[in-house]
Amino acid sequence: MSSDIVAVIGFVVLFALMLLRVPVGMAMGLVGVAGFGYLSGSGPALKIVGHTSMRTVTDWNFAVVPLFLLMGSFATTSGMSRELFRAANALLGHLRGGLGIATIAACGGFAAICGSSVATAATFSRVAYPEMRRFGYPQSFATGVIAAGGTLGVMIPPSTVLAVYGLITEQDIGKLFVAGIVPGLIAVLMYMATIALIGQAFQGYLPAGERTPWGERLSAMRDIWATLLLFLFVIGGIYGGLFTATEAAGMGAGGAFLLGIARRRLSGKDIRRSLLEATRTTAAVFTVLIGAILFGYFLTITQTPQKVTEFLTGLGLGRYGVLALIMVMYLVLGCLMDALAMIILTVPIIFPVIKELGFDPIWFGVIIVMTVELGLIHPPVGMNIFVIKSVVEDVKISTIFYGVLPFIITDLLRLVLLISFPILALWLPSKM
Amino acid sequence: MDRFIDNIERLAALFIGIVAADVFITVVLRAFGISIPDSYNLGQNLLGILIFWGIAATSYRGTHITVDLVWANVGPRWQRAIDVFATLVLLFVVVVQTYTLFDKTLSTYASNLQTVELRLPVWPFFAVAWLGDVSAVMLIAVRTYRLVFRPELMAKQAQAVKVVE
Repeated sequence: MSSDIVAVIGFVVLFALMLLRVPVGMAMGLVGVAGFGYLSGSGPALKIVGHTSMRTVTDWNFAVVPLFLLMGSFATTSGMSRELFRAANALLGHLRGGLGIATIAACGGFAAICGSSVATAATFSRVAYPEMRRFGYPQSFATGVIAAGGTLGVMIPPSTVLAVYGLITEQDIGKLFVAGIVPGLIAVLMYMATIALIGQAFQGYLPAGERTPWGERLSAMRDIWATLLLFLFVIGGIYGGLFTATEAAGMGAGGAFLLGIARRRLSGKDIRRSLLEATRTTAAVFTVLIGAILFGYFLTITQTPQKVTEFLTGLGLGRYGVLALIMVMYLVLGCLMDALAMIILTVPIIFPVIKELGFDPIWFGVIIVMTVELGLIHPPVGMNIFVIKSVVEDVKISTIFYGVLPFIITDLLRLVLLISFPILALWLPSKM
Repeated sequence: MDRFIDNIERLAALFIGIVAADVFITVVLRAFGISIPDSYNLGQNLLGILIFWGIAATSYRGTHITVDLVWANVGPRWQRAIDVFATLVLLFVVVVQTYTLFDKTLSTYASNLQTVELRLPVWPFFAVAWLGDVSAVMLIAVRTYRLVFRPELMAKQAQAVKVVE
């Protein structure tokens, strides 16, 4: 059997296993090793399992993932999200649609210290949703705002998804994080503008909240110093060349812990919970990473990336045509898969195409994260939608999807903007 | 059994705390020109241990990253059948991984690989990590048994995980 046919069978079996709920990493590992074994013998195939598994889990560069997850967990359990929402609400809540705008601002702030979209969506479902409902926001819009705001978690650094992209493609994670800052801010501003436009277009649809006296506004603003300090410490440290990405993650986790203790926001129980949450997610992510590296051997021996590159560049669509095709593929895959799994599975195949077409790998990292971020909110899977549903149980999934529609349009516009003007992502890293 | 699994997870959680403390203290001390011997090697080996023990708990609780599209759209009987199939595949993969990791640990012992500064042998770290994979095999076997013969226990446990999250 030719290696092309083996590759096709491998992909078919992989998708079948994944659809039958075999953990993504395990399915990739199984297909990768079986395919590699078929083409090169079972001895070498078994040898790579033990070697790759141990090498992956002891690769110090990969420590960036659990450490940033831990930093996010400490930030969540120590109530930083609540402080951010209080401050944003005090400043913006009195405007028409102000509570929605405040939710986006707080999600953006929280994303700056927590690299997880799911954690951001879950946290603000508890913090912001009851407040929006209290002021008469429709259920669909309130949940839609939170689902969209949650996606900021993967865009604004530190971002777990960007870190994993950097690890797979061997790009500088620090540069990737810095590249995410301007697109992340654009995302915040465009989401806010969307809410303001809807508030203006449909009078009474998004009522204004209470006006907060200036004394309370200043008091609320004072509470967010810890979040600002943590963000400046971590991202400033990377930007200024003080830390590597892994060190920044460890300093962030340590910093979030110390801030929580000093401000008496972390009890023994909270610390245990944060450690457990970070451990669970780490184990799940590393399973996919190990599986992806094993699958990588299969891709190499079947020369799949080279063949995909030849095929796509030979279509005669031009570089932007091929890029558009790749984006569409990611949007379709987003209907089926988790963002991280999608990145880990597809980037080793797609990345050589991007290099061949002459696109900047840092810029592509930002673009790819923005695209998979869309998958977090678009039907039928939309991870953030299910997270919100698990917290706000009385809302229908279809109601949340309806509420998130304006933000999907905003995201598509932002994608076009970033593809048209790569400088928006590349300007800051060029100053490093 | 549940207490045993909780303890496994707590152990892994403790290691993540130690890895974070290792990085934090190393960077802070570096500012004063002090270095912790082998902090890099110890950190990477502890990372390996935490991940394999974490995978053991994650495999038992069924909290791996999965594609739930089909599962979410079928009835409870089919959901259980899919869960049993997925867990059997998981068990097979982890058994193979455990066998090959044992081989890797033995070869590391034979090659007398040591840490850079303190010259500590590396194989005991690999052995502790391998024990995590052995625990994963046992826990996935328990999960499979419970999914087939005691599904009510798995439903209760899934609810408990949801409450913690």
